[in-house]
Amino acid sequence: MELLEGISWGLIAPIFFIQLILVIVSLVDLSRIEKTNGPKLLWVFIIVIVNIIGPILYFVIGRRNN
Amino acid sequence: MSQWMTLFQKEILEMWRNFKWIWVPITFILLGVSEPLTSYYLPQIIKSFGGLPEGSIIDIPPPTAGAVLASGLSQYSTLGVLIIVLGTMGVIAGERKSGVAAMILVKPVSYLSYISSKWAGSLLLVWFSLFIGYLSTWYYTGQLFDWIPIGEFFQSFVLFGLWLTVVLTVTIFFSAALLTPGMAGFISLAIALVLSIISGALSHLLEWSPSQLAGYASALLTVGELPDDTLPASLVAILLIVILLWLSVFLFKKKELAS
Amino acid sequence: MSLIQIKGLKKNFQGNEVIKGLDFKLEKGKCIALLGPNGAGKTTTLRMLSGLMKPTAGIISFSGAKKDGDIRHLIGYLPQFPVFYDWMSGFEFLQYVGKLGGLTGKEAKERSLELLELVGISDAKNRRVGKYSGGMKQRLGIAQAIIHRPQLVMLDEPVSALDPFGRREVLELLEGLKKETTILFSTHILNDAEEVCDEILFLHNGEIVESGTMEDLRERHQQAKIDLIFRKKTVEMGNTLKNHALTKSILIEGNRISVFVTNIELARKEFLKLISEKDWQLDKFEMSSMTLEDVFMKVVGK
Repeated sequence: MELLEGISWGLIAPIFFIQLILVIVSLVDLSRIEKTNGPKLLWVFIIVIVNIIGPILYFVIGRRNN
Repeated sequence: MSQWMTLFQKEILEMWRNFKWIWVPITFILLGVSEPLTSYYLPQIIKSFGGLPEGSIIDIPPPTAGAVLASGLSQYSTLGVLIIVLGTMGVIAGERKSGVAAMILVKPVSYLSYISSKWAGSLLLVWFSLFIGYLSTWYYTGQLFDWIPIGEFFQSFVLFGLWLTVVLTVTIFFSAALLTPGMAGFISLAIALVLSIISGALSHLLEWSPSQLAGYASALLTVGELPDDTLPASLVAILLIVILLWLSVFLFKKKELAS
Repeated sequence: MSLIQIKGLKKNFQGNEVIKGLDFKLEKGKCIALLGPNGAGKTTTLRMLSGLMKPTAGIISFSGAKKDGDIRHLIGYLPQFPVFYDWMSGFEFLQYVGKLGGLTGKEAKERSLELLELVGISDAKNRRVGKYSGGMKQRLGIAQAIIHRPQLVMLDEPVSALDPFGRREVLELLEGLKKETTILFSTHILNDAEEVCDEILFLHNGEIVESGTMEDLRERHQQAKIDLIFRKKTVEMGNTLKNHALTKSILIEGNRISVFVTNIELARKEFLKLISEKDWQLDKFEMSSMTLEDVFMKVVGK
């Protein structure tokens, strides 16, 4: 309780917000893209479940360029 | 010039379509901001969940604002560099491999424009992302710790940006010279790593090495003043960038576009 | 006036001589087919002409080349498997390439719309190229090759990948294009070459084994032949014709007897006389010269 009170939500909320944007953007991209490295469904799970790193991994590794 | 702009605009547009303009800056924000947040909240979290034996005293002295901001930069030196290299290694090699480079360069397009426009596009993305990310880190550090003077922020931003530009240019160079994206990425990362290690170990001998720029930027934040060798290191970095770009064009021109 | 002169053009790949010394000229305003079986070296030749590959030896001289030898403003090129930026629409790609070819933004836009119409993919102009079918990509490929109005358009197997309908349309497209520019296109299908082109370069094993206009080729390889089809063939017929003074050689397949003769006019009279004298029951009497298909097979076979 003490911990939660100590947190400044004004600082944390924007972080959650842009993290959410990252997830949405990567899911939108995933739905548009023809092929990924590895199964698409796997990437859906990685993006949704692995916090922060998931979407980044998708863009760096999963997205097949050209 | 108008041809260069056409090529450059295509790079910018491509980065919109593949969302690089969104995910790279966001990644830089998250990487950087995680430093002040964890440094601030970690002691509290340990206190609440630590289950430390009765009476033990946790005495983690709160880091200085400069040290926090510097550790933000160190995130960019590792993960930031990784993202830049992996995101850039294919810009030339990938187009060459897929065959689209042949479609473009069979048109009267100057090789210098082709390569420099790609370099400039990536450069803009890197500086934009670094700026957004670093600015957020500075703001969070200010909110949670102390405010670093805005002048110091900008100086360290430019120095660090210069180092990332060197990394970017090395990657572009190998992308043009090697023609396989994976190989280009691997070698560029290896070079960035080796450069950092060597100039860290031999820092008294290689004060002018561009890889010192990252260290000099953090030194400015922690110590409060710039080391004397900042200027030579910056000049060497700029020289290296120009030479590598020129070599990229030279080597790429010599390659056959179809094989 | 010749647009390109090629002398002693050679290309080696790892010690293998793939192109063994080509010499030819291309005249302005002509349509030339580079014809040959797969592996003859057609693609390699076109790549060297377009500057994508460097010749091992030989000279390619373009009239109108820049001082440093750059010829790219003169040519348009369509590779066998064209590749685009998948994330662009067809319209965007054409405008992009048009601007790179030296058109202003406005010109590139107008010309792109015009070409999209011409190659028949206007309906898909705003769709991403990644979603295009093979035939649509081929059409877009032709459009991008001619957008900057090059003096020479080189097309590598432009119709091979297309279905019969697509083939027909693209060939008609080339027919129309002939009026505007010089065309060099490679194909392994003789019919395609015959249909649109004035001239043929036969390429086989890295060498030009035969070249010239259609008429030239036909004349050069003309062989007088009379085909006879009888209702009922007898051994006597075969023997009589075989031993005839005008007969060079004879080919018997079922009821059909093909006789290669020295003088076709004389043979016509003699054979008709012979047939009516013997009262052979004739179904069909046909005089012909060798088709280009025959020439093609003969040239490649030697």
